[in-house]
Amino acid sequence: MLEPLFESESKEKALLYVYTHGESYPREIAKSLGLHVNTVQYQLLKLEGGGVLYSKLKGRIRLFGFNPRYAFKKELSALLAKALTFVPEEELNLLYRPRMRPRRTGKPLS
Amino acid sequence: MIRKNLSLPDLAATICDACKRNGIDVVLSGGACVSIYTENKYESFDLDFVLLSHVRRKMIRPVLEALGFHEDGRHFRHPDTPYIVEFLSPPLSVSGEPVREIHKIHRGKMILRLLSPTDCVKDRLAAFYHWNDRPSLDQALMVCKDIPVDLREVRRWSMSEGMKDKFELFKEALSGSGSR
Repeated sequence: MLEPLFESESKEKALLYVYTHGESYPREIAKSLGLHVNTVQYQLLKLEGGGVLYSKLKGRIRLFGFNPRYAFKKELSALLAKALTFVPEEELNLLYRPRMRPRRTGKPLS
Repeated sequence: MIRKNLSLPDLAATICDACKRNGIDVVLSGGACVSIYTENKYESFDLDFVLLSHVRRKMIRPVLEALGFHEDGRHFRHPDTPYIVEFLSPPLSVSGEPVREIHKIHRGKMILRLLSPTDCVKDRLAAFYHWNDRPSLDQALMVCKDIPVDLREVRRWSMSEGMKDKFELFKEALSGSGSR
């Protein structure tokens, strides 16, 4: 959808993933989206370099999230929110609607 | 040239001047501005320059190398100084707003372009507002204590960021710190 703007489907998908999940890390994003981890890492680092994303270490994992100080954060968020309305329902539920509430240790996933 | 014990403003002005002479416009931002405005009461070793327009890395590299820096990942380091230099992508902004007024400090024949004291406070408060970073709040307070800052403008910007409550926290802390 936004590929003409972002010039990369993997960048668009990774951005949508971080946008909907708040924070995530390359391996998780790559696994969920069926992309190579190096591809995702490359796009995330480029976006971080451009100030769009921030990253921080949590334990041994580098988490990426939307940089709240990015000058066009509001406008980019609006663009991504609009793009999500064009994603097929099944794909939306599978990839971009994460369960955010906690789940107690040991409780099986329904 | 870069030598040992070169002060932060002199080093920053040297880099800013070298960039300007090579057609690269940069503005110093971040903690280094706090160091300059507080005369090193807060010490930063990061020199973060924001590019005013998009410049390819291969244009910047030779300018820094001519000053004796070497590239280390995204940064530049120099054997005679502990400071780490980084160039950040445009635009020059404090969160959602562009920076309109660039402050200048003259160091000999060189000019250092940097965030104004007011924008420097906004820049630090942005980190406090969005990431709850208390050290950034402390740095904003330090600048307010040491140099005149347009607090009405800081208030206006804070409101536009939707940070009324946190601005009140800042103001409360400020009234207890004896600002100028």
